Amino acid sequence: MTTTAEPRTDSTRQARSDRRKHLLRMTVGRGGAYFILVAFAAAMLFPFVFMAATALKTPEDTFRYPPTVLPRTSSTAQLAGEDVELYSLETADGSTETLYLAEEGVAAGLFARLDDPAVTIAWPLERAFDTGSTTTVAGEEVPVFAVQFGDETAELALLRSTAVGRFKSLDDPDVEAFAIVRTATRAETVDPQWSNFSEIIELRDFDRSLTNTILVTILVVGGTLFTSIMGGYAFSRIRFKGRDQIFVAYIGSIMIPFVVLIIPLFRLMVSLGWVNTLGSLVWPFIFNAYGTFLMRQFFVSIPKELEEAAFIDGARRWKILWRIFVPLSWPAIATLATFMFLYAWNSFIWPLVSINGANSEDFVLTIALQTLGGQAGEGPNLIFAAIVLSVIIPFTVFVLAQRYFVENVATSGIK
Amino acid sequence: MTTTSIGSSDRTTGLPGWYRPILIWRVLVALMMAAGLIGVLLRRGIVLDGPLRWSLAVTLLMFLGGSLVAVIDTVRQRHLGRVTAFFIDFLLAVVFSFIAFNRMGMFTGLDAVGEAFNGNVAWIGIVVLGWFISGFTERGGTVNESLRNIARYTMAAGVAVLLLAMGLLPGLIEFGRRLFVADVIPIAILAAAAVLAARTMWSDSAARMFSTTAAEGETMDGLLFVAPNMLGFLAFMAGPLFVSLFISFTEWDGLTDARFIGFQNYIDLFSDDLFLRSLRNIVVFGAVAIPLAVLPAMLLAHLLNSKLPGMKFFRAVYFLPSIAGVVGVTLIWKQLFNSTVGFINYGILKVTDLFNSVFGSGFAAGEPQWISDDSIALISVIILFVWQQIGFNTVLFLAGMQGINPTLYEAADIDGAGPWKKFQKITVPMLKPTTVFVVATTTILALQLFNEPFILQSPSPPSGPGNSTLTPVVYLYQNAFQEFQIGYASAVAWALFILIFGVTLLYFRRSGDDGVLSS
Repeated sequence: MTTTAEPRTDSTRQARSDRRKHLLRMTVGRGGAYFILVAFAAAMLFPFVFMAATALKTPEDTFRYPPTVLPRTSSTAQLAGEDVELYSLETADGSTETLYLAEEGVAAGLFARLDDPAVTIAWPLERAFDTGSTTTVAGEEVPVFAVQFGDETAELALLRSTAVGRFKSLDDPDVEAFAIVRTATRAETVDPQWSNFSEIIELRDFDRSLTNTILVTILVVGGTLFTSIMGGYAFSRIRFKGRDQIFVAYIGSIMIPFVVLIIPLFRLMVSLGWVNTLGSLVWPFIFNAYGTFLMRQFFVSIPKELEEAAFIDGARRWKILWRIFVPLSWPAIATLATFMFLYAWNSFIWPLVSINGANSEDFVLTIALQTLGGQAGEGPNLIFAAIVLSVIIPFTVFVLAQRYFVENVATSGIK
Repeated sequence: MTTTSIGSSDRTTGLPGWYRPILIWRVLVALMMAAGLIGVLLRRGIVLDGPLRWSLAVTLLMFLGGSLVAVIDTVRQRHLGRVTAFFIDFLLAVVFSFIAFNRMGMFTGLDAVGEAFNGNVAWIGIVVLGWFISGFTERGGTVNESLRNIARYTMAAGVAVLLLAMGLLPGLIEFGRRLFVADVIPIAILAAAAVLAARTMWSDSAARMFSTTAAEGETMDGLLFVAPNMLGFLAFMAGPLFVSLFISFTEWDGLTDARFIGFQNYIDLFSDDLFLRSLRNIVVFGAVAIPLAVLPAMLLAHLLNSKLPGMKFFRAVYFLPSIAGVVGVTLIWKQLFNSTVGFINYGILKVTDLFNSVFGSGFAAGEPQWISDDSIALISVIILFVWQQIGFNTVLFLAGMQGINPTLYEAADIDGAGPWKKFQKITVPMLKPTTVFVVATTTILALQLFNEPFILQSPSPPSGPGNSTLTPVVYLYQNAFQEFQIGYASAVAWALFILIFGVTLLYFRRSGDDGVLSS
């Protein structure tokens, strides 16, 4: 293969440099894009990670400062048939070891450095020897001691006497360290408290709230699907006088904010005797203009021929709707179902008004959570275990049916 | 259910057997309506107040008129008679069944179901198993009829076991027993009669007798199909809406009689410092929170739209806050906002330390009391709201961007436009309808702010320290359900409604009729 060396013109050089610049810009651009995306994703995820971790903590662990994410408990070990608490301390040779408290109240002194008296250490007097000389610290004359740290010795000023603990290793009795017991760092292990979940379920009736929520959600979703499919079919396929006017008026009701209806609906529940019952969370909410709208839009797109063929066979509308339209409309139905599921599962202000009694048997999750969260004495770990229980089902459904959630947002934008 | 007949030539000369009982029923219904009307006008039996009494009277009058038309046209065998008769019977059947079922505690019986359900919820697992099997048949692509049947039977068995475990049989017996509770019987009989009458008027035989044409039959079909929605709409939306409007013109504590005071509540609103404070709070909240919830969402959507790998993952992550319920999410943030052990103040401390060590400065990180300090309590609500809303708005924008014609970008590429130019000159203008929609929905949500301050401040009052998180809905809630100023609270509700409606109209006018209704 022979090539004639082409003289490099300015234009090819220019093009090459352009390409390189472009590539650079692309890489920087992509890196920047991913940086922003990851930063936002971290901000979105962190509260949930924190939630899951806190749900597994002990109550003391939730009040720790500085705050930590992972659930930790103090480590203990068995020594001569007894539980001993473990500490994480620096030994004389400078390494950090896991030690147990072997002896308390060892006579010790608080020693300070001669050149910088602010730096102090508590060390047992058995490892220190009076040199006989003195020094002046903060206007007071104090003795100078030769203090042994392992193989090294340092001259330090004795400020006052104190007591330390003698910490020893479980494996090697020669390894020891001294520290003031009260402030010694405890050895800790990551130790999730799974019992938080059983506690919240058993002690706080949370299973009942979960059951109630599931029941209400199933009925709201099922009821809405039924009425929306019926209405959507009528508005798309049956010709009758005033149909379009009724449709526009009904769809217009989407604009009515729920807050206007709270008071009269509550009065209605009072006169029907539905206050403090789960029924009040279901029956008013199975008639949904948005659902009817969604189903109608989908039904309109179904070809007319399918229906006409069935008509010729003598099938009636009811049968046509459930045998032909509904099986074809699975995407729209799933979209509506996910929307209603979230709505029913997470609704808060109406249950707050309508389930206002103290009887926790009527509670749905949102109310049980709010009641729990408002009790000052409750440990955050139990509250967070309850939060995990309340989000686990929506999250699972989301993972299984993500497409329909996104579809719902894309088609309607109604939350 | 449509019934067609070929026309009057087909009319049968002999009257069907149901004709005479139906006619008697028709006359009875008309008499019932007349008696009810007189009763209401004379205030017998039911103690009702002003407008409620009048609206009931008007309803009864309409029913009476309808009944008379039905009687006359039934005798004359005209289609109008069939339609009016059918719908009167249908509505009576609904109303009487509703009353009967409500007396029997059927609507509130859910709580008992909940109790029974509670111990047996695990049986749903069988149904879910069946559902997974059926999903498996679809994914495989091969239509496996026997597997599909197995799935069906598994699901059915699961439902059956669940129902039996929950006590279906004792429940049915209980249902039967309640049916015979004395005061339900007359209403139940009326309901049954109305159902029977409606069924008769619906039948093919009635269609023939009244010479119903195909178009007329279709209208009956249509009205029947929209009936559940319409009845629900009237009972739980339109009705309450008008009741709410009426209540807003009264002074009412919910126990004693309401006193009509005209526009006084609305006039009082303008001189009510608390209400004005709530408006000010919500305006400040909106002015900060809406741009923060919209603009970054647009940027994120733009990045997600770039077809780089992993975008679906990010989209899912951003969506999570809108899946988790507001109560749980707010309780999580309440702990993060904790002034002593919360991660937010700890993060501020760490960032300040880093800043100080880099620049050698000596800033001190404070310990802001996010929830109990009146100068920043609203900021904590803003942070929470924005965090929850951003991902949802991102997905909305993303959907809008995916609707933009890609040839526009290709043309811009040929013209040598850079990415920023393309974003500025194509994406932003083409996205205008979406942007208007996102801003509108975010604004409407922001105006109805309630959950976040309520839960963040709990167990303290939701109005927050120094009323700093008092929003109109919080004010409404406090007035209606804590102070029992129900008339005044309704006026607050309507003021807010008017505000929201105005905002909605404004946005949709700007977007040039590209709103929900036209899509």
